[in-house]
Amino acid sequence: MPKTELSRLSRRNFLKLGAAAASAFAVGQFIPPPVARAARQSGALDENGSGYISTMCEMCVWRCGVRAKVVEGKVVKLEGNPEHSHSHGKLCARGQAGLMNTYDPDRVLTPLIRVGKRGEGKFRKATWSEALDEVAEAMLKIKNTYGPEAMVFSSTHNLSQPLFENLLYGFGSPNYGTQRSLCFNAMIVSNLITYGMEEPARDYSQLQYLILTGRNLTEAISTSETIDLVDSIARGAKVVYIDPRFTKTASKASEWLPVRPGTDLAFHLAMINVIISEKLYNTSFIDQYTIGFEQVSSAVLSYTPEWAATLTGIEADVIRRIAREFAAAGRYALAHNGWRTSNFINSFPTERAITILNALVGNWGMTMFPAAGEGGGGLGSPPQPPYPRISAQRLDGVPWMYPFVPLKIGVFQQMRDSIVEGKPYEAHGWFISRQNPVLSLPDRQKTLKAFNKMDFIVTMDILMNDTGWFSDVVLPEASYLERYDPLVPLGNQIFIRQPVIEPQGEAKSALWVYKELGTRLGLADFFQYKDEEDYIYQQLAPTGISLDELRLQGGVTVPSSGDSNIFKWSTPSGKVELYSATLQEDNFDPVPAWLDPPQPKAGEFYLLTGKVGQHTQFGTQNNQLLHKYQDVPRLWMAEEAAQNLGLKDWDMVEVTSPVGSVTVALEVTSAIRSDCVYLTPGFGHLSMALRTAYGVGASDSQLHVTYTDPISGGQALSQTFVSVKKA
Amino acid sequence: MPTKNHYAFVIDVTRCIDCRACLVACSVENSVPMDHTRIWVHDQQVQGEWPTLSRVFVPYNCMHCDHPPCTEVCVSGATYKDSTTGLVLVDQEACIGCGYCVEACPYGVRYIDQKRGVVDKCNACVQRLEVGLQPACVATCVGKARMFGDLNDPNSEVSVALQNAKSVTRLDYEKNGTDTDPNIYYLNLAETEGILSSDTFGQVAQTTLPRDPHYTISEEGWKKVAIPLVAVAMGATFLAQAVFFTKQLLEGEKDFED
Repeated sequence: MPKTELSRLSRRNFLKLGAAAASAFAVGQFIPPPVARAARQSGALDENGSGYISTMCEMCVWRCGVRAKVVEGKVVKLEGNPEHSHSHGKLCARGQAGLMNTYDPDRVLTPLIRVGKRGEGKFRKATWSEALDEVAEAMLKIKNTYGPEAMVFSSTHNLSQPLFENLLYGFGSPNYGTQRSLCFNAMIVSNLITYGMEEPARDYSQLQYLILTGRNLTEAISTSETIDLVDSIARGAKVVYIDPRFTKTASKASEWLPVRPGTDLAFHLAMINVIISEKLYNTSFIDQYTIGFEQVSSAVLSYTPEWAATLTGIEADVIRRIAREFAAAGRYALAHNGWRTSNFINSFPTERAITILNALVGNWGMTMFPAAGEGGGGLGSPPQPPYPRISAQRLDGVPWMYPFVPLKIGVFQQMRDSIVEGKPYEAHGWFISRQNPVLSLPDRQKTLKAFNKMDFIVTMDILMNDTGWFSDVVLPEASYLERYDPLVPLGNQIFIRQPVIEPQGEAKSALWVYKELGTRLGLADFFQYKDEEDYIYQQLAPTGISLDELRLQGGVTVPSSGDSNIFKWSTPSGKVELYSATLQEDNFDPVPAWLDPPQPKAGEFYLLTGKVGQHTQFGTQNNQLLHKYQDVPRLWMAEEAAQNLGLKDWDMVEVTSPVGSVTVALEVTSAIRSDCVYLTPGFGHLSMALRTAYGVGASDSQLHVTYTDPISGGQALSQTFVSVKKA
Repeated sequence: MPTKNHYAFVIDVTRCIDCRACLVACSVENSVPMDHTRIWVHDQQVQGEWPTLSRVFVPYNCMHCDHPPCTEVCVSGATYKDSTTGLVLVDQEACIGCGYCVEACPYGVRYIDQKRGVVDKCNACVQRLEVGLQPACVATCVGKARMFGDLNDPNSEVSVALQNAKSVTRLDYEKNGTDTDPNIYYLNLAETEGILSSDTFGQVAQTTLPRDPHYTISEEGWKKVAIPLVAVAMGATFLAQAVFFTKQLLEGEKDFED
């Protein structure tokens, strides 16, 4: 076939594109690139610095395996790594667009120190030593004046988390914020109570019947699991999808049930009622491996399908039929425990009911398994001293208000509220890494109030995100394609995140920043590694695996250390706890009971939240490639409701909640219940340094009222009611 | 004219989740300008009566027709049907950017790259095929909706998929008794409702191989719908771009005539 000009032209074009961006970060351009040198040594790149380097994605928390195509020291294409169980050779839109995050013309590439007022966006460039000295000085001043607990720290779900924990616990602060209470606390805590583990693994290979409760797998994409779902449907598995919105997942499901928001619990309680009253459960599993069947049986007696029908809007016959079908599929059935599950004040009992449904059909060992886990793998770690004793209470109320919430998960919105109230003590400084609480926490105005109380705020990110915009110092992190991260095993495999290109400008890895800052804070003993590679050498030392081998392969298999007996659980009884004495001891319902959620008044709507397949949370909206292919974020409203309000498609509307209001374009659709509206989160950025994302869409965090589930600490993200009128 | 290979896309619409990984992958692989795209996912929109709703996504790009209208109008010979692969390709060194082929394509899958002054479109990532890789859109397709391969090979994934298909639909375009014979084969599209239905375009046929151009749309129908279809699929930002693009295209053509 004739060779086309296209590949050559493409490359030339791309380099031109890169060159435009490169003007901002000329430093380092003329130094022989060590990344390319290392990759040449290991055989991944040829003498021109071209080839494929294996690494891991960080466009969401799923961490797909990536093979990055590098041409002459630039990354030009990302492919899914076929060897990695999270990607199976695929990357989603975000993963494909990952190189645009790295080459974002809005990257922050030098440390910045604020010179204007907070929120004015005026910064000056600084050197690393100047910026780190300033951060260390401010942190030590706060420590010496108010105690280490007056510094709060927050970061989310990433591979450098162990070093972040060294920083905060070594410093002596108990105050650790993660995003998880804005996401899946209800699921995590209910799994801990029932199964003694945060999240059992799901297996679709034998799956015949799946109930998805708001788990919008085709838009909230976890690549391998999304593939599993589509494969299962193609194979003929039945999928029942429960959601007030007709999402893309609904369009793939066998059956869609547009449940009234906040009543999923009633649906699941009625399912349990039918399966128990009709004796459709797996007797041998119940007898051998669970406790509390009798208590559950008597507790659900009144939760008939007829009772649930009035609450959920789903007909009693449908609930009864689905319960029978689910039970008939038996071990091949799965009630998915969801992902972002903190929607209502009753989300915890909802999640508990889902765990019980799974136990009733005894699907353990067929569609559900113990989680593969992230610990172990035989990895070593640099030596470090024990953390200093911390006596101060945590501002987020864990465990003194929320006894069941794990310390490493926390209740982020409560931390923010305690800062605003100054109780039980005042906080004075906030260290934020790779996180955007200004946009993610409910009630943005309140978050900014908390910021205003701070003497000092420092943010580390690759971009000037909204949180950086209101910070005093912004530290430029190397992107995931520019840095090493600590190794974390995935089951019996170890994959590496390694730089595929040199960090641009002055950007540095978290491993480097935490060590440099830690040293300035007198915490050098918690960071006993020379550099990133030395950290990984020390991790690999006990395994006999060489870094070069791992770098070239991208991943290696290690001997499995797991226990082969999967039929035991780390609960107090060692069994699956349908009834929980632990909950009883703290005066919570030991078996799930109906809890009536609040409802909107006449003229108000439930404000639903959700995901789109092109973005992750609050951090990808500035990615030009994702921007290119995203839908304009609008407020969904049902045709009937829009008609009643005299509103048309594309009208600008004002949406008002008890805590704020936004203006956004309307999308009139038949894909949502008439008592709900829906707004895609992650838009409505405040940082004007995000030139692609700024001015697009509206922020739902400006509307969300803070409601915390008393058991799991989850923020009830769909419990805010809004009114809508023409803007 | 039979070619050595007969490359074709086979797309199972029941597997497309509109995640748009293919769109981004294509843009990166082929350095597609930010204001253009080579491939699309057509959204049939929500259909049906509450609560029995449906929504189908139809990925498409250059159909690499057996009888491509674009090659016939190409004055420079830049657009040609490759005799080895059967792919419709553009030799951009030879292309003068006149835009006739853009007008002639009934599927609206070609655009003029203003900066380079040439026409661009899907080339099935020939640069990847040369080294044994699948086209970027196919390689990353999360739902495994997109398949690509050689129909002359009875054991290829695409041949097997067509042999086992419940229904196969092609968006055939007919003019003066000749049809385009497109090389995108849709699986399970015939059963769906939506814009690509009998109301708009005429008969929807359910068929299995051997294939005939059963699904024929009227020229007027497609011409009217093609641009808005693209725009709807991409949202308003893209709508503006599509309008801008069309305008430029028309004005450009005027200049040429003058």
